[in-house]
Amino acid sequence: MSTDTSKFFVTRPPRPMLARDADSVYWMSRYVERAEHIARILLVNSNLLIDVGDLAPELQERQWQSLMSIMRVGEPPPVTDPVGVLATAMTETPAPHRVAQYMTFSTDNPNSLFNCISRARENARGVRETISAEMWENLNTLYWTLRDAPARFDESPEDVYRQMMIGSMLFQGLSDQTLQHDQRWHFTQLGKFLERIDVTARVIATKFTLLKSLESKLEAPIRNIHWMSVLRSCCSIEAYRRNNIGDMEPVRVATFLILEPDFPRSIRFCVTQAHDAIASIRAEVHPQAIDPAERALGRLKTQLEYAEASEILRPGVPQYCERIQQDILEAAMAIQATYFLH
Amino acid sequence: MFDQYEVNGVFDEMFAERGQARPHYAAVTRRLAKLNPAALDRRRRMADVSFRNQGITFTVYGDARGVEKTFPFDLVPRIIPANEWDVIERGLEQRITALNLFCRDIYHEQSILKERVIPPELIYGAKMFRREMIGVDVPRDVYIHICGTDLIRDRDGRYLVLEDNGRTPSGVSYVLENRAVMKRVSPSMFSAYRVRAIEDYPYNLLRCLRYVSPARGEEPTIVVMTPGIYNSAYFEHSFLARQMGVELVEGSDLVIENGFVYMRTTAGLRKIDVIYRRVDDDFLDPLCFRPDSMLGVAGLMNAYRLGNVALVNAAGTGVADDKAVYPYVPEMIRFYLKQEPILHNVPTHICARAEDRQYVLEHLHELVVKSTNESGGYGMLMGHQATAEERAEFAEKIKHDPRNFIAQPVVELSQHPTLFDDHFEGRRVDLRPYILYGEKAIVMPGGLTRVALRKGSLVVNSSQGGGSKDTWVLEEEPTAT
Repeated sequence: MSTDTSKFFVTRPPRPMLARDADSVYWMSRYVERAEHIARILLVNSNLLIDVGDLAPELQERQWQSLMSIMRVGEPPPVTDPVGVLATAMTETPAPHRVAQYMTFSTDNPNSLFNCISRARENARGVRETISAEMWENLNTLYWTLRDAPARFDESPEDVYRQMMIGSMLFQGLSDQTLQHDQRWHFTQLGKFLERIDVTARVIATKFTLLKSLESKLEAPIRNIHWMSVLRSCCSIEAYRRNNIGDMEPVRVATFLILEPDFPRSIRFCVTQAHDAIASIRAEVHPQAIDPAERALGRLKTQLEYAEASEILRPGVPQYCERIQQDILEAAMAIQATYFLH
Repeated sequence: MFDQYEVNGVFDEMFAERGQARPHYAAVTRRLAKLNPAALDRRRRMADVSFRNQGITFTVYGDARGVEKTFPFDLVPRIIPANEWDVIERGLEQRITALNLFCRDIYHEQSILKERVIPPELIYGAKMFRREMIGVDVPRDVYIHICGTDLIRDRDGRYLVLEDNGRTPSGVSYVLENRAVMKRVSPSMFSAYRVRAIEDYPYNLLRCLRYVSPARGEEPTIVVMTPGIYNSAYFEHSFLARQMGVELVEGSDLVIENGFVYMRTTAGLRKIDVIYRRVDDDFLDPLCFRPDSMLGVAGLMNAYRLGNVALVNAAGTGVADDKAVYPYVPEMIRFYLKQEPILHNVPTHICARAEDRQYVLEHLHELVVKSTNESGGYGMLMGHQATAEERAEFAEKIKHDPRNFIAQPVVELSQHPTLFDDHFEGRRVDLRPYILYGEKAIVMPGGLTRVALRKGSLVVNSSQGGGSKDTWVLEEEPTAT
């Protein structure tokens, strides 16, 4: 007996995606990526202070400040305590610990780890029927893990940060393996890579400014440790070492993080991926049109492909990074205008 | 576990009398008796974590952060034998058929009013009667596509209909998730039974939605419409959209152009044919109903009346949900189907009738008084439990607005053993089966068994502290030949 199988192969138009869903999927992905960076930077920073905090007290203060500026947050608000019960406890809490608490759990800090995970989850909740059940369950579990974390945070902050980083990696793996690679998935990629470019550019710019200003005062071993921490913050230390033997050379670190063609944490790699994602979305949604975000990212991609170290050094590394951030912002605005607001 | 269990003088689902389990519960009782408290506790925690991680929660209002709670789940299944279910199934099919004919009639010929089977003033005075729907032809003449009828059992174990929820009944996602969790934490319980599967509900629902698409001959675009992420039933809206593989839209995703409904997609506007809306009539269209609604979309009713989109359930079905119309359902069955009702109503006094009102006012201490348009256990007086002041207050309300009230004798709901720490206690239950009405009526074998967790309480609503159970309908025993 033969079955008519032709009906199973009818070409169907690609399934439409609600503009609101695209918006949520994109932001869900951005917030997960952002949370991962925050967790990693906080982890690296506290380890750095354990290593060299006493050796360079001047740096310690500025180290925390630079962290706040990477995360685009102001100082933690002074603790108000009208009753005075907490007074002793609070003054005895060392400043770094307070900053870590503020960056990790505070609901007043828009870019705290907790707020990022919460917003990722809120966005995911709004698109549960668009993402896979595995993605939602993973993110929801991550949220509850972090909500239950304050109790064991003092014992080992590192443990909490590692859980968040692995949770984010798992989430990204699940996105790749459980979603159809149509525009739904491409929007997650777009959010992930744009966020990664943005944070990486800020880390490089901020740290470069900070360490350059102190360079003359630091001894070589301490300086090395600091540059290593920059690479660690970008999850790039091992890859860098494999390519560059010997000292931590600031210019080499910067060019590695910006221009390395096939390392998934470098800005150039991320720009290429983001460009591919937007090109695929545009091809699916508006096959004939020219997309302003695609154009902005395409231009940046080409520029990075042909860039030389001297091009970065002439304006200065921080300035070069700021220009990249400008381009990314332009692309992000264009995506919003083209796909999210109809 | 059951040593101290009391049957309490009401109908007990599991025990015919103390220590004497009904035959269809024998295997479950044996298995439970073998479990120690630690094993039960482990299972309960597994179930809790499973619900929480999947985000199967509802939001409790009145808290700034909106507390998310899991719906309390009881590990002992409620079991309904095949012969009992057969009666329920036929009764529910009969009821939904009559209710659909009633809605069609009320918004067209109104023959049931003309023949004085139902007093016209009762219908015209119903808050949920929608004049906007008069003369409107809805696709395939189906009004109530999805119905969630509440059944209770009296002292003798008779199933009675407490109310028909023909607007936007919720809870079906909990039925499906309860079953999934039950299979996960207590797989061995199933081994002694042949439990009828319920997992095809989303498929049947989708078929029902496709059946009413006005775009004949082309693949319809179907969506679920939700008031949004902060709605207490949001989980269910998202769940159903996911199970059917359709989009979940909010009012702000929709646009009306030239009398058609579109959704905003990344590729521009896309026409919609069928909307399974989980938004009340009042909020659907600010041009037609409540002008302050932000949840709907202006012009939706116009598109609907033009026949360009199907709303599921239809607008205006609330008239059949009115508690003063409910007493007439048996009459509807006789009038439209020329049949005798298979399932009975709870006797009901309609305060709008002078003689009923007199009786109600004189017997408030033994009656349950309900507001005709409230649901979820709100706006009720439990006369036998209320204080004299509360009764006096309600008497005034009834006299002031009799159309708004009905009264019923207190029905002692059946009870079911429910786990508390290390032992079982009887708690009152009801049953909400779900009925789909498309090409034909399909009753999901099972439903939501809700449990009043407070001792002695007769109120099972989740908003009033109720929990739920997995509900098993058994396959017919193979007859020996």
